[in-house]
Amino acid sequence: METATHQGPPTAGFADHRAVVVAVDHHPWPYFTVTLEVPFANGEQKFANCTPGQFVMTLAEFGLEPYLRRAFSVFDIRTDANTTQIEIFGKVIGLGTEGLARLEPGKEVPLLGPLGQGFTRSASPTVKPSALIAGGIGSAALLLWARALLEQGEAFDFYYGGYAACDLALSERFEELARASGGELICATESGHRGHHGYITEPLEQALAQGRYGALYTCGPEGLMAKVAALGSQYQVPGQAALETEMGCGYGACLGCAVAHQDGRFRLCCKDGPVFALDEVVW
Amino acid sequence: MSTVDLSVKVGPLELANPVLSASGTFGYGLEFAPLTRLERFGGLVTKGLSLEPLRGNPAPRIFETRGGMLNSIGLQNIGIEAFLSDVLPGLADFPPKVVVNLFGYEREDYSTLAARVDAVEHVAAVELNVSCPNVKRGGIQFGHDPGQLEELVASVRKATSKPLIVKLSPNVTSPVALGKAARDGGADILSAINTVIGMAIDTRTRRPRLHTIKGGLSGPAIRPVAVRIVYDVAREVGLPVIGIGGAETADDVLEFMLAGASAVQIGTALFRDPMQPNRILQDLEQRLVSEGVGSVRELIGAINIE
Repeated sequence: METATHQGPPTAGFADHRAVVVAVDHHPWPYFTVTLEVPFANGEQKFANCTPGQFVMTLAEFGLEPYLRRAFSVFDIRTDANTTQIEIFGKVIGLGTEGLARLEPGKEVPLLGPLGQGFTRSASPTVKPSALIAGGIGSAALLLWARALLEQGEAFDFYYGGYAACDLALSERFEELARASGGELICATESGHRGHHGYITEPLEQALAQGRYGALYTCGPEGLMAKVAALGSQYQVPGQAALETEMGCGYGACLGCAVAHQDGRFRLCCKDGPVFALDEVVW
Repeated sequence: MSTVDLSVKVGPLELANPVLSASGTFGYGLEFAPLTRLERFGGLVTKGLSLEPLRGNPAPRIFETRGGMLNSIGLQNIGIEAFLSDVLPGLADFPPKVVVNLFGYEREDYSTLAARVDAVEHVAAVELNVSCPNVKRGGIQFGHDPGQLEELVASVRKATSKPLIVKLSPNVTSPVALGKAARDGGADILSAINTVIGMAIDTRTRRPRLHTIKGGLSGPAIRPVAVRIVYDVAREVGLPVIGIGGAETADDVLEFMLAGASAVQIGTALFRDPMQPNRILQDLEQRLVSEGVGSVRELIGAINIE
């Protein structure tokens, strides 16, 4: 029997942790990072199985508004002798994100994760480098993947676009990884205050026209990701996108985060994604 | 800790405790059981199932509002056959009673579905969804017309001997009239309420927040509406009632029971905190102990309005 609902693999190995806020930094407002500490339990390291592109669901406080948890990419992970530190990188756009940006060290928050399916290599390692393309806060999904590529000896350029210069928050962290891999940071702002004056996909397209990349990995506004997908199709370069949708639960129970798939069915962003191949999504 | 009796009898349906998961709030099965402790629930109600799989509505399907959320999932489901073959066997050793939520387009769809599960051992009861607000033909015509509802329930009654629950819509002038129609058609139990039709608009883009424009509101925002309808229906229809609508704590469960509910379904609260079932049952037990109540059954309809 044909099923209209894709039954993807359940997300394995996630749990609801009690995490303690150890740092909140503004880069500047509305961009912020929150570092959360999850102690090992019985010597067992938490988030050990977390892969780049996976996400967590969290909330500053259980109240009436915001009511549901919010989804955040795992921006960075650090592990020491007996704790795991999860860093999330966010932008204040509503009450949920504002609550997190106003957290203070010592506060305990619920942290469900790691959730979803992360990035995998779209092309086998070739002589061609990859391009990572971030639009604004979409960069949050790409840091761990950039580091994974670097650690595997693969070069990449990091494209970072936004409206104004301040929308390219934490660009130095991406630049450091890109340079270490043998690539570079390429910026664009619509306001023209930093890098290329216009869309980030414009310098990307120039490079694609010269056949520079073997794979594209992107996260950002839907318009940007759709353009990257179109360019990937035009220049026959495969890639993946980390999608963002409204999510109720983050673990496949509410069926709220539908993503239209090329096969005519829906996928769940939380469970089947948030990372999808560029050519499987209906943009 | 002294033990209190949490077991309830909801018409012909016997439950270890009065707390169930609501339809549409935990998928179908056990994938999340280790996380959510759903195994402690008295029962769980499946996502609405139809004869054929349904793909559901396009995004955006949900939007959070103060104290709740609007949803318009559109009854996405894997279909009854996939549920029975792929999901239900995994629930066989699961302590909670499994209630299948069924919906169709025509009266025959409901009776065919009910007949399909009639002989299935691990199906403890059938809940009819006659009130989904989110699809053009989700059975809502039955849930809003007493005459049609009575005929529908009567035809389902002939198709199954399982305990039969009819889930009432709050989006009608008189839920009691619909409850009486369901009773006269042969329902054993009423559950109330389904989501309340609502709507939200993004004032910057001037676009509706949901693809389908309107959706169903759930969460604590609707609890007083649900308590009122449970109170009316329990007093005036004469069937046992399962309360649904924004319950998220043991106190909320007790409120529904005092209003007349014999059991309560937990829905939206599961999304934000999958451990909530555990806490509800723990708190419920402690609350009864501290109040010297030996059995939770003593509280059903025990509202004091003198």
